[in-house]
Amino acid sequence: MDNQWAVSASGLAKRFGDRRVVDGVDIAVPTGAVYGVLGPNGAGKTTTLRMLLGIIEPDEGHRTLLGHAHPRDASDLVGYLPEERGLYPAMKARDAIIFMGALRGLDRATGRARAGELLDQAGLGHAADTKIRKLSKGMAQLVQLLGSVVHRPKLLVLDEPFSGLDPVNQERLEALILGERDRGATILFSTHVMAHAERLCDRLAIIAGGQRRFEGTVDEARGTLRSRVRYRPRDPERASPDLLPADAVREGEDWRFVLPDEGIEPVLGRLLAAGAGIMNLSIERPSLHEAFVRIVGEPVEEKAA
Amino acid sequence: MSRTRRLLRQTMTIARRDFVATVFTPIFLLFLFAPLIMVAFSTIGAMGAAQAADHGADHVRIVAIVPNAVAGAFVEADKRARIVFRRDEEPPALAILSPSGEPAAQARKTFESGDYDATAVLYGPLDRPTILYGPRGTRAADYLAVLASSALSAERLGGELPRVEATKVPFSRQRATLGGQNQTAFLAVFGVFFLTLFLAGQVVGTMAEERSNKVIEVLAAAVPLEAVFLGKLLGMFGVAVLFIGFWGTVLGQVTSVLPPAFSGMVGELSPAVGLPMFTLLFVTYFTMAYLLLGSVFLTIGAQASTMREIQMLSLPITIVQVGMFTLTLSGLSKPDSWLAVIAEVFPLSSPFAMAGMAAASDSLWPHAVALAWQALWVAIFVTMGARLFRRGVLQSGSVRPFWRRKGA
Repeated sequence: MDNQWAVSASGLAKRFGDRRVVDGVDIAVPTGAVYGVLGPNGAGKTTTLRMLLGIIEPDEGHRTLLGHAHPRDASDLVGYLPEERGLYPAMKARDAIIFMGALRGLDRATGRARAGELLDQAGLGHAADTKIRKLSKGMAQLVQLLGSVVHRPKLLVLDEPFSGLDPVNQERLEALILGERDRGATILFSTHVMAHAERLCDRLAIIAGGQRRFEGTVDEARGTLRSRVRYRPRDPERASPDLLPADAVREGEDWRFVLPDEGIEPVLGRLLAAGAGIMNLSIERPSLHEAFVRIVGEPVEEKAA
Repeated sequence: MSRTRRLLRQTMTIARRDFVATVFTPIFLLFLFAPLIMVAFSTIGAMGAAQAADHGADHVRIVAIVPNAVAGAFVEADKRARIVFRRDEEPPALAILSPSGEPAAQARKTFESGDYDATAVLYGPLDRPTILYGPRGTRAADYLAVLASSALSAERLGGELPRVEATKVPFSRQRATLGGQNQTAFLAVFGVFFLTLFLAGQVVGTMAEERSNKVIEVLAAAVPLEAVFLGKLLGMFGVAVLFIGFWGTVLGQVTSVLPPAFSGMVGELSPAVGLPMFTLLFVTYFTMAYLLLGSVFLTIGAQASTMREIQMLSLPITIVQVGMFTLTLSGLSKPDSWLAVIAEVFPLSSPFAMAGMAAASDSLWPHAVALAWQALWVAIFVTMGARLFRRGVLQSGSVRPFWRRKGA
């Protein structure tokens, strides 16, 4: 078993009818990492995750899950929170967690003990014997999440885990993800909310139009865009556009432009020599959000026939 | 853990959930006691009808208009003849009238009597009596003729018929009677059909719950769909066994509620393979019939996306079951015919036909072959159901069978 990668896939493709929803995605999730799959709605994130887990079979490509060529063989080592949450409404919260653990091979006695602990830790101890149909949507979602970790999986796959949660529960979920990472689990989750990815991900892949557009760390993603400079001269009359880069745009008293390849120093030298001075200067690194928008907005690369 | 053990564990996890979710609900009590409700209404109706019938029967008489000299012989003949009848099958009570006036007119007048309802009236000389009878009175008329014959014989033998002191010794035949075997075969087929008709159809809607509340995604990610299908089938089979066990126990304890005709029928069961083996085979074939029909219904029901579609399936499902029953009965009436062979080989009718065969033939090896054949088809139906569901509902291609997978 190759311990370096918890998940690896190459050339995954899936067609629904005439539409190719996943079109040759490669992915490699390092063991022990928190790995994000980012993409706009309909990008193919969920289909990719479902193929990785063996819920559906790819039309093309290969994947391994925890070293197993067939994901089913590793199913007891995996926890999964699907995008479309689903629990039996007539089940009690504790029983739902025990059942989900039992599906993954956890014996019922251990499942019962852990379910109580997990519910208490999540602040849901009072709802242990409450039927799912009587819980709020957010509480039910947390119960399902607890059910997906009760068997202490080596790999935790979460599809849009933050959707539908209020900010308090989003923080709880982030803490739970980091807790699972600290326990030694690998986390693979999909989202289109950049803030979560920026805070949690060690690495990420950006998928759009069924294709992987980027793979790397958050910093590397942000690095795909050049930093932007915001400059306010002390003497606006002397800050001639000729002294600034060609893309400089005036916004009130400020000038904004992309940080030149040669750095900011030559520009500042020219401005100081001309007596424009510096009232204010900031170099802003692009956010993941901006990088995402730029990456996703790129035209799809045409594949050779 | 081996793949087989894991599949078994996953199957039983699903089965347990379905069993518990079905049994621990108020609706299950309604389901469990549905026969009681049916029996209660039937009993009330039957009691009312029986009371009305008894009330009428109390007033029905067969009448013999005979001279006083032979009245005693007539009464004695009635006593002798009556003992061969069961209580509820006895002819109406005998009334003796002395001749007065014109016999034919007296007999006709007897039907108008306000004291009783005459169903047949005998008059005239005993060697050539005339018997008038009313509607449904032909058997009563025959009975009066038999009494006349006995009374005449007694009269000619000096007033009394010779007494015969018979020694009755119960005897159990070693070989089942042909009539008993046929009756047992029919009962076996009908029993399997009756139980599966009421119980197997429930399987059709079981996947609807998972589809409607999205749990199917959780299940499909954790366990193979084959385990989901088989688990659901076994869970519902557990419910059926609980139902049958409950009512079997109740009926076993309260045999007095069974009608005498039924008790007699049970006593005449004479399967060719012997009663213990027949019981075992009957239970096994019911299991196979449930699993075979249930797996087909589950497969079809899993494709339905709404409750309306599932409800619409109930009629074709019933027709399929009745069709299998009819096919089997046709084969049963002509053993060794091609129809019988088809019924025994066709997977959905095979359990019915083989249950019938257990009653009619003492060979055991065909049952071993049939059970293996039926188990194979259960596996085929479950696998097909899972694949159709994966393709149609999960929109996936099929999983490669494990023997065609490359090693990890």
